Amino acid sequence: MKFFNLVWRNVFRKKTRTVLTTGSIVLVLVLIVVLTCLLQAMEQDPSGNRGSNRLVVQHATGLANFLPLSQRQRIEQIPGVVAVSPQIWFGGVYRDDKPENFFGQLSCDPEIFFTKLFDDATIDPAIEKEFRATQNSFVAGQSLVNKFHWKKGEHIMLRGTYIPVTLDLVFVGAYRSGDESNAFFHNEYLNQAKWFGANRVTGIYYLKVADAADLPRVTSTIDKMFENSDAPTKTLTEKQFQASFMEMMGNIKGLIRWISLIILFAVTLIVANTVAMSARERVTEISVMRTLGFRPGHILGFILSEAVLMSLLGGLLGVVLAKYLFVPGMVKGMATTPMAPFLINFKVTGSVLLAAFLISVGVGVLAGFVPAIRSSRIRIVDGLRQVV
Amino acid sequence: MAIPIKYNARNLVNRKVSTGMTVLVICLVVTVFLFVLALWQGVNRTLSVNASTRNVLTMRVGSQAEMQSVVTRDAYEMIRALPGIERNAKGEPLVSPELLTLINIPRQDGKSSNVQIRGVGPVGFEMRPGVRIVDGRIMNPGTNEAIVSKNLATRFAGMGIGDRIKSGAFRWIIVGHFDGSGSAYESEIWVDAKDLQAQSKRPIFSSVFVRASDPDAAARYIETVKGDQRLKLEGKTEKKYYEEQMVTGAPIKVLAILVGVFTAIGASFGAMNTMYAQVSARTREIGTLRAIGFSRRSVLASFILEALLLCVAGGIAGTTLAFILFNLILTKPTGTMNFRTFSEVLFNFRLTPPLIAGGIAFSLAMGVFGGFFPAWRASRLKITTALREV
Repeated sequence: MKFFNLVWRNVFRKKTRTVLTTGSIVLVLVLIVVLTCLLQAMEQDPSGNRGSNRLVVQHATGLANFLPLSQRQRIEQIPGVVAVSPQIWFGGVYRDDKPENFFGQLSCDPEIFFTKLFDDATIDPAIEKEFRATQNSFVAGQSLVNKFHWKKGEHIMLRGTYIPVTLDLVFVGAYRSGDESNAFFHNEYLNQAKWFGANRVTGIYYLKVADAADLPRVTSTIDKMFENSDAPTKTLTEKQFQASFMEMMGNIKGLIRWISLIILFAVTLIVANTVAMSARERVTEISVMRTLGFRPGHILGFILSEAVLMSLLGGLLGVVLAKYLFVPGMVKGMATTPMAPFLINFKVTGSVLLAAFLISVGVGVLAGFVPAIRSSRIRIVDGLRQVV
Repeated sequence: MAIPIKYNARNLVNRKVSTGMTVLVICLVVTVFLFVLALWQGVNRTLSVNASTRNVLTMRVGSQAEMQSVVTRDAYEMIRALPGIERNAKGEPLVSPELLTLINIPRQDGKSSNVQIRGVGPVGFEMRPGVRIVDGRIMNPGTNEAIVSKNLATRFAGMGIGDRIKSGAFRWIIVGHFDGSGSAYESEIWVDAKDLQAQSKRPIFSSVFVRASDPDAAARYIETVKGDQRLKLEGKTEKKYYEEQMVTGAPIKVLAILVGVFTAIGASFGAMNTMYAQVSARTREIGTLRAIGFSRRSVLASFILEALLLCVAGGIAGTTLAFILFNLILTKPTGTMNFRTFSEVLFNFRLTPPLIAGGIAFSLAMGVFGGFFPAWRASRLKITTALREV
């Protein structure tokens, strides 16, 4: 630590160079933070990674097929099941057909939904009570509410797409959770709209199991129960269900990973090049330091800490810029683009910040390693004789 | 007089490690940029190629995707009688009622994905000359036979001829592979419409395809459908329908812009660093060049040229790398989710000539940006101080 001043001064002895190198680290870190957060936003785990003991039952053939409501009672009777809510993905058009106005609209059974099923969501008890009591009401995720500026008592119209009815819903309040991109309304309200499947079918069953250890048993019990019926089911954990959408995004996820890796490699090369250049220019100086009694280990430490310090500075600045400028900027800037529905859950989380910190240290170490070893191995006589 | 280009080339060759690293950085950046753009091009091409302006989809008002729509048998019969529809050799109107549904089937990588199953009849094939059987034969009605696109067969498991598709209550046997000329149909499984109605227990259609005699007739047909109160349907040309789905490519486009802009600036910072180091290492040389009569402008041009050489070398390497990548390694189709249909759309990476030119131009831009400021500094050096420099 007593040499910190020396390292600090060395980092800033060529200002242009440091600014440029740090600049490239900043840009890359911003990019990586933004990309990682985009991935996280698309994964939208409603429990916010805490795990939820929840299962989703869908038709074995896929989401496009309905399940008969008669299955609900049989699922509820399975030991270990706490609550079951039939849900329908309404997929209606809000305001106009523009993709940016698209959001998740799901019907549910309000009696149990927030109390027993989606119980890791935070909702004001007064709002929850009002939601239950008002048949044409809906609640929505806080991020979604922020986007559309819904006020309590406001009416919205949803024009159905595959369900050919128009819903007139009134907003009662917001909930908070790991996934705030959805709005929920009453199953009963949808049924009263007299659509073709009213009181007869549902899209999925969303259910909660008391104990995580019971999940595999409940899953196989449900699927076996309906295996030979008219509507065979496929039961997934909530996480698998969300992941199935991500899987369809297919290689996009892997692609972003690869891109991030390649870019990191490129920036490591840039930093390594800079550190090598500055070490090469200082051969004489390093030899003088060795003559004064600094050990090779000292020199190694100096050069390596310079690299790490530089990339840490860049990383820090990059993360701050990403968190306070780019991510909010992108959400705002793309509010009217087809990307908007994906950005509802787009924010910089703690785990990303930690990863960014580790990445910048890693880049510094990798980049500084070779030049540092080289400098520490310079023979004093050669170094002093060399003309730069 | 201009400083010979040989001077710059030799300088670059002289410091192999530094040049090599900078070229590698530019190369990687260009490859990544081309990769993302090629992906975007691939999606858009799939959704635009062969989309006809004469084939009109007729769907329920407000439907964003065929699968969301319902068209009754009666409505289909009414559509058949509408004017402006082309007829085939047998004198039948080219009207194809089709049913769509999704099935979730395993991919070769072990994960699974949603795929659209399209129930069609013989007229459906007549209307789409781009769809041809390349292997096996066409399915026969009433036998639960299916044909799959050859692209789908390379991405999903158990798609060989003779294989069976089993998902939920669905049972199909594959009898042929088809080629859809790169269109969105290459992401689908095709079966007989009546078979699909029977297996999915839905005695309806999703959409009715109509082939109009010309684009004007298509526009008139769309008007007629809109005006017909009994139908409650709307028409859209195939071209417009798929254009609306291009929103699928939007995230990739945003990705391309983000990645392109950020990495380009980052990499040109790297190049700038290298060039600055060169200017300060060669201060005496620059002084000498100036002393023997080369103008400031020549020095400026020379250093910019050197940066350009550095970056274009990277650009060419990056484009070559991308070319090799797309033609030798990533030849299989890849897929992403179509947000309108909730199914996977398959596409191939496409490195078009404009993209190649774009990659090179991209590296040139990095060269100009990265080279200008160091070159400016070099050209502003005072001869006397520069020559005195050790």
